[in-house]
Amino acid sequence: MEAEDALRRRVVEVLAEEFELDPEKMVPEATLYEDLGLDSLDAVDMVVVLEKTFGMKLTDEEALRSIRTMEDLFQFLLRLQAAER
Amino acid sequence: MRVVVVGSGVSALTAAAILAKNGRQVLLIERQPEFGGALRQFKRKKIAFDVGFHYTGCAGSGEILDLIWSYCAIRPRLRVLPLGSEGHDRFEFTDRTPAVRGYFSYPRLAEELRQHFPAERAGIDTYLAAVRQICADVPFYHPEQPLLPFLRGYKNRPTSLAEFLVRHIGDRYLRAVLAAPGFLYGVPQSQASLEVHALVAHGYYSGAYTLDGGGQSLVDAFLAVLAASGVEMRSGESVEQVLVEGEKVVGVELAGGERVAADQVIYTGHPATLMGRVPASLFRPAYWHRLAGLANSLSLFAVFAEGERELDIHQGPLNYYLLPGSGDILSADPETPRQRRPMMMTGTRTAADELLHQGRNGIILLGLGYWQEVRQFEQSSSGRRPPGYEHYKARVAEEMIGVAEKRWGAVSGTIRPLAVGTPLTFRDELGAPEGCAYGAMHCLGQYNPEVRTRLPGLFLAGQSTVMTGVAGASISGLIAAGEILGLEQLWQDVVRCR
Repeated sequence: MEAEDALRRRVVEVLAEEFELDPEKMVPEATLYEDLGLDSLDAVDMVVVLEKTFGMKLTDEEALRSIRTMEDLFQFLLRLQAAER
Repeated sequence: MRVVVVGSGVSALTAAAILAKNGRQVLLIERQPEFGGALRQFKRKKIAFDVGFHYTGCAGSGEILDLIWSYCAIRPRLRVLPLGSEGHDRFEFTDRTPAVRGYFSYPRLAEELRQHFPAERAGIDTYLAAVRQICADVPFYHPEQPLLPFLRGYKNRPTSLAEFLVRHIGDRYLRAVLAAPGFLYGVPQSQASLEVHALVAHGYYSGAYTLDGGGQSLVDAFLAVLAASGVEMRSGESVEQVLVEGEKVVGVELAGGERVAADQVIYTGHPATLMGRVPASLFRPAYWHRLAGLANSLSLFAVFAEGERELDIHQGPLNYYLLPGSGDILSADPETPRQRRPMMMTGTRTAADELLHQGRNGIILLGLGYWQEVRQFEQSSSGRRPPGYEHYKARVAEEMIGVAEKRWGAVSGTIRPLAVGTPLTFRDELGAPEGCAYGAMHCLGQYNPEVRTRLPGLFLAGQSTVMTGVAGASISGLIAAGEILGLEQLWQDVVRCR
């Protein structure tokens, strides 16, 4: 659980910084596009940032495309981390 | 409705010609005194040397370059010379004979490879089929396909070329011959993706072409058409700032302070050099970090020389390659000793109508180079290099000439150097950071920026933005113009030139 919280905090921290977002608004149910104002042009930048931050390859295009909310993103990264162990 | 095109390499010239044809007012601004970027030739002892253009694929009838050149109305001004089914590159190894011929033809190449490597028949077929298969969905090879799904759609994760080759090919010399098109996109073998490799190799295996008069003839053809269509062209001036109001491009500011109004700007410098030219607040930090962190393609040492004899490309090979017998043919390690790096020799081509006035025995040697080797001289600028650099340069040239004479002296005779280029030369003459031969690498793990940017009216097109080579740069220019004019409609109009 602790590791999970750390990952959530890190995601919020790094995305807030790299995309100039308000961390207060980055709650689990916030949608990346509508609530946080990201768009398709940001998608690749986000992949680059997350790959660098967590040292993982975000290879599953299908899963990436289905991410709508912050919680979807957390779950996606947690699954990836678990798979790498 | 003015468009400013920054730079004047192939991508810039292509974009400018397409926009002018569609009624846009275009201003093209080049920092160097002459237009043409890497396609420009220079002369020594009456020999015209090409720096960036030696041959290309995709220029056959109905192929993408033929279509773009026809659409831009420059095709009638060019003499495209196909190499024919016997045309080939010659691949030699430091520790193996005989040489392998890399034909610019799928059937001839397959035949040659099977003959040299009979035990690898299945692997050869698998490799060639994979290259073709990857290109089957690429509209630039199959113009009947729409452009947008390819450009905007998600791409499958690229796969490793090295892993693919190890899985299917047992013989390391054969692997080296198959990896050799890596020379044409400048990515270390260990970082190359099968998908990008296939895009380049497919063109190469489908036919090779030179231009009568070399790369300069392409520049001259474009300049003539641009002048006739009223494009304003200014050289020796640089764009310092892209001017923005209300998150929209409104013009550019030149080095002297002059401001030019424009609705769109196509920037063909290296994407990383956009920094400082656009207000930082316009892009999110993530985008800037991505541009700044782009890994660049490999660099080169080039010796421009005079041989004792003319290389006859119609009788013999187009290019002579010497590949290292061990290790990767393109190593990622800047410490790789020079004898374990690949080298290439090619001859200059003389325009048919200038035969009387030009030297004909021009020889160009290209060797793999790394920025790290010349970094100690990075503070110096063109024409003001320290003596240590000149010594270093002369030593590299001497070494390369020694290898070439030993290998190919029978065809070239004695080789006398007339000019030498290093990664530093390419950095300063071509605006290529770290002297990269092909811009930011198209390789595993790297996400190259798109042509469109978050700032409406600002587009990237140069330094191999979309792909490498004359074909890649022309496509980059086409897409940049298309982002302004409407991509799918432009694509249909270009394809209709068949």
